[in-house]
Amino acid sequence: MTRAGEMRLAFDRGFAEQPRTDTALRESFLAIRLGTTAYALRLSEVSGMFFNKKVTRIPTSHAALFGLASFRGAVMPVYDLHALLGFPASSTVRWLVTTSAAAVALAFDSFEGHLQISREAVVPPGTGEGSRDHVHEFVRTAGDIRAVVDLASVVTFIRAQMPQTIS
Amino acid sequence: MFSNLTFGKRLAAGFGFAGLVLLLVAGVSYRTTNNLIDNESWVAHTHQVRTTLADLLSEIKDAETGQRGYLLTGSDAYLQPYLDATKQIKDTFDVVQKLTSDNPDQQRRLGTLSQVIDAKLAELQRTIDLRKTEGFDAALKVVTTNEGKAAMDRIRTLVAEADQEEADLLAKRAVEAQASAQMATGVSLWGSIVGIAAVAAFGWLITKSLGNLIGGAVGQVQSSSAELQAAATQQATGAKEQATAMSEITTTISELLATSRQIAEGAQRVAKVAKQTAESAQSGHRTVDVTHDSIAGIRRQVDQIVAHMLELGKKSQEIGSVLDIVSELAEQTNILAINATIEAAGAGDAGKRFAVVADEIRKLADRVGGSTKEIRTLIDDVRSAVNTTVMATETGSKAVDAGSKQFGDVASAFQQISGLVTTTTETAREIELSTKQQSTAVEQVNIAISNVAQASKETEASSSQTLQTASQLAGLSKDLLRIVRPQAA
Repeated sequence: MTRAGEMRLAFDRGFAEQPRTDTALRESFLAIRLGTTAYALRLSEVSGMFFNKKVTRIPTSHAALFGLASFRGAVMPVYDLHALLGFPASSTVRWLVTTSAAAVALAFDSFEGHLQISREAVVPPGTGEGSRDHVHEFVRTAGDIRAVVDLASVVTFIRAQMPQTIS
Repeated sequence: MFSNLTFGKRLAAGFGFAGLVLLLVAGVSYRTTNNLIDNESWVAHTHQVRTTLADLLSEIKDAETGQRGYLLTGSDAYLQPYLDATKQIKDTFDVVQKLTSDNPDQQRRLGTLSQVIDAKLAELQRTIDLRKTEGFDAALKVVTTNEGKAAMDRIRTLVAEADQEEADLLAKRAVEAQASAQMATGVSLWGSIVGIAAVAAFGWLITKSLGNLIGGAVGQVQSSSAELQAAATQQATGAKEQATAMSEITTTISELLATSRQIAEGAQRVAKVAKQTAESAQSGHRTVDVTHDSIAGIRRQVDQIVAHMLELGKKSQEIGSVLDIVSELAEQTNILAINATIEAAGAGDAGKRFAVVADEIRKLADRVGGSTKEIRTLIDDVRSAVNTTVMATETGSKAVDAGSKQFGDVASAFQQISGLVTTTTETAREIELSTKQQSTAVEQVNIAISNVAQASKETEASSSQTLQTASQLAGLSKDLLRIVRPQAA
């Protein structure tokens, strides 16, 4: 069978299968990449995802604060997730997510896809790994293990370090 | 200084010095001998003077004796001694006067003696005359006057003085003769000793220096003889090698002669083959022209392929641009589906079915995204294949151009070959003629080489003779060195 035949068969099968309703046993994650490291964001902590959004720079002493951007009529501060996790700040903004916990946007380098992971695949850190800043869980996929960024912890951090930038 | 003189000058100096000593000795001896001879002559002269004086006195006595006998006897027979003596006295006196002419004292004394003798002879004549004329008494009377006796005593005194004078001269000349004899003896003895010593010294010096000189020269002659011997040996060896080489050259020349003949035959064959080659070259030239036309057709086809492939690449690029839009749409769809999922989750149970649809949309968007990636890969492959094909066709086009050019070169080469083959034919004929001339020349060279070989043999014989002569010369120099320097030999 040719590659085109295989693709057509998969396409047809996708519409022929019964929709899956066992969503309670699975969790959704967004697979992202910060620099060369793969991370995952829990979809339930995200209120929206955006690409190539225009960000207005503002003068600030906080390295992690990029500026301000408008999301569906609401103006929110945009933070560099890379810098908030303790790494050097990025220079460009491409992908953005808004959090459910507060009206803030977090920028990351690249979006790698949507993951639906069974609850058994979500595990706490191993004995040798230890707990990093804002990372308390890991998800196992077919190919690798990703650290799950705790967005609630990140928002708490922003609220504590930069209270005047968040409403 | 002596060592700087030449061989002849050293000999001349040595013999000259010896001759000078001998000449000095001879001169002194000559002078001394002459003195002796003169002395002897003067001694004889003195003896003659003394003898003549004695004769004169004796003759005067004889005259007196005759006078006395005549006076006593009156006989004329007794007058004879007187007459003989008076005749002789004059002559004897003249002899004495002549013999003492170089002595002024004697001459003065003889002057006095002459007067006294004249007075004595006059007294004798007077008494004889008186005896003859007047008798014995008259004569005796004169005698008793002692006039005659006084004259006679005076004569004796003067003669004795003259004799004494001559005796003194004799003694003086004896002393001079003794001195001259001693001088001659001393000069002869010491001159001979000095001469012998000088001759011996010069002989030793000349012998030594000539020994060194001749020894050195002989040594050089010996060395030169050895070198000449070695050179002659080398020359003899060289001559032998030359003779051998000449034999080899003769053989080689013979082979060269045979080869020249073969070359002439080969040149004939070359001329024939060159003619055939010229015909083949013309045929090849025609074939190349036909092939050149075929290559031009290939060139046109290749150009068309290149144009089509470039068009294909352009279309692939356009597909890629459309695909970018599709990919972006899929991505935006994915984002919308994710946001829809988030919104559905926020809607609670009412949003569950919407969440399912949103998930389906997201999966569809994922699939479209995956498909666009595959298409992107396929398009990239197609564009890569197009680029490769274009490059290959361009390479082929260049190869065709190069082939076309090469065929042009081949065509011109065939023309050149044709021309060159014609030249080759002519050259082959010239080679044939030249080779025949060469064969003739080689025969002449062969004769000349034979002559040279003969000359080499003669040189070899001459070298052997030279070697023999050098050996003899070395032997002679060795003998000469043995004569000059026995200790060195």
